[in-house]
Amino acid sequence: MNIYINVLGNVSPQVTTDNADFLTEPVNKQDTSFACIDPDYKSILQKANLRRMSRLIKFGMYSAQQCLIDSKVENLDAIITGTGLGCLKDTEKFLIDIYGNDEGVLSPTKFMQSTHNTLSGQIALMLNCEQYNFTYVHRGASFESALLDGIMLIEEEANNILVGGLDELTDTYLAVTKRMKMWRRDAISQLDLFSNKQSGSIAGEGASFFMLSKEQSSTSYAKIKGLKILFKPKSIETIYGEMQALIQDAGLEMGAIDVVVLGMNGDQEQDKLYDELIERYFQDKQLTAFKHLCGEYKTASAFGLWTAAQMLGKQNIPEVLKLNKSASPILKNVLVYNCYNNSNHSLLLLQDVNA
Amino acid sequence: MEEIIEKLKVQLIDQLNLEDFKPSDIDADEALFDSRLGLDSIDALEIIVLLEREYGIKVLNQEDGQKIFKSVRSIAEHISANKEV
Repeated sequence: MNIYINVLGNVSPQVTTDNADFLTEPVNKQDTSFACIDPDYKSILQKANLRRMSRLIKFGMYSAQQCLIDSKVENLDAIITGTGLGCLKDTEKFLIDIYGNDEGVLSPTKFMQSTHNTLSGQIALMLNCEQYNFTYVHRGASFESALLDGIMLIEEEANNILVGGLDELTDTYLAVTKRMKMWRRDAISQLDLFSNKQSGSIAGEGASFFMLSKEQSSTSYAKIKGLKILFKPKSIETIYGEMQALIQDAGLEMGAIDVVVLGMNGDQEQDKLYDELIERYFQDKQLTAFKHLCGEYKTASAFGLWTAAQMLGKQNIPEVLKLNKSASPILKNVLVYNCYNNSNHSLLLLQDVNA
Repeated sequence: MEEIIEKLKVQLIDQLNLEDFKPSDIDADEALFDSRLGLDSIDALEIIVLLEREYGIKVLNQEDGQKIFKSVRSIAEHISANKEV
C-alpha cells in the first residue's frame, strides 16, 4: 500500500511556513541555541484562543492548522503527535506555581496546558474531532513512534491522518542540559556547525506536521515506503544491515537511493557514527543534513522528514542542505537516517509520488 | 475604590493574558463575560484564584460568583467589603 504525504506544515528556526518556498534564503543566526521564528499566529489562529497558549502550543497549532488549511480536509481519522518533552514551559510554570503557593490555590490554565497531550487535544477541540487521538513521548523516538502509528492506521482502514513532531526550548531545559555538556559553550553561526565540529551540539526547537493519506492528491509530496526504529544498535554494520533490509522490503536496492538525509548535529563524538557510515558506504551518494538549520532536539527528525519530502516534491536540493557536491540526479528515492544521543536511531524511506 | 479598580484591571490583564488590552481599554462597569473581552468559565476560575491569592477572599457559592464577577467594579466592591485586614 502507498502512504502519501499530501501536505506539510512547519514552524522552525528557518523560514518554513510558506510551502512554496524551500530554504531559498536560509537563516544563518549566530547563537548558542536556535529558536523558532514566530510566524504571524493571528493570521490563521483565533485571537481568543491564542492568549492562553504557550509558545509550543502556538507554533504547534500554527503548523497543524497550516496542514489542515492546505489539505482542505475537514474530517480527520486520527491526530497523532510525538514530543520528547511536551509542554515544558507550562510544566515549569505549574511546578513553580505549586512550590510558590505551598501546594495551595493553583491556576487551572497552567495545569491544563502542562500535559504532553495538550496539543493533540487542542487540535481535536478546534476541529470537533472525536476520532483517534494519541501522543507519543518516547524520548528521541517520539516522532517516529507517532509516524509508525499513523502508517499502521492507514494500512488498516484510516485515511487522512495528521501526524506531527514538536518540542520547545526553555531556559531551564537549556541550563540543565548545558550542565550535562550537551551543547556548545560559545555562540556559533548555524551554517558553520559542521565545518567547526567540537564537543556538544546546538539546541533547537520546532513543530512539523504531515497530512498522511492512502490517496494521492494534487499536492502530494512523497510516498512513505518504510520506517524502522532502532534502539542502541550494536554496530555500524547492524545499522547498515537494517538500511539494506528496509530498502529491500520496499523492492529496491541500495543503488536506487538518490539522496541520504543525515541527522548529524555537529558534536564531534556523536557525528563519528555518520562519518564512518559515509566513509564506508555512502561515498558515491548525494548526502544532505538538516540540524544546522533547526538545531538538535528530540523530534528534530520531523524537520528531517520535512526536508526529504520537500526535496522529492520540488525535485530540488537546496545548496544549504548539501554535504557534498554530487551531481543532482532526478530524485526518486530518499533515505533519512537520524540518531538522537547515540540511543534512538531511525530509518525512513521516501519515494517520489510518480515512481 | 478607584485605586482598587485600577489595580484589579492590571491584575486581570496579567492573570488572564489579555494581551490585546490595556487597563485604560477596560471600562469598570462593562460586562466581563459574554462580552467583547471574550472571557469564559476558565477565566472565572482564574479570577477565583486571583481573589484568594491576592486578597485572601474565597468565592465558594456559584450564585455569589455570578454577581461578583459581573464587572471590574463589582469585583472591586466585593474586595473592598471583604478584604482581609
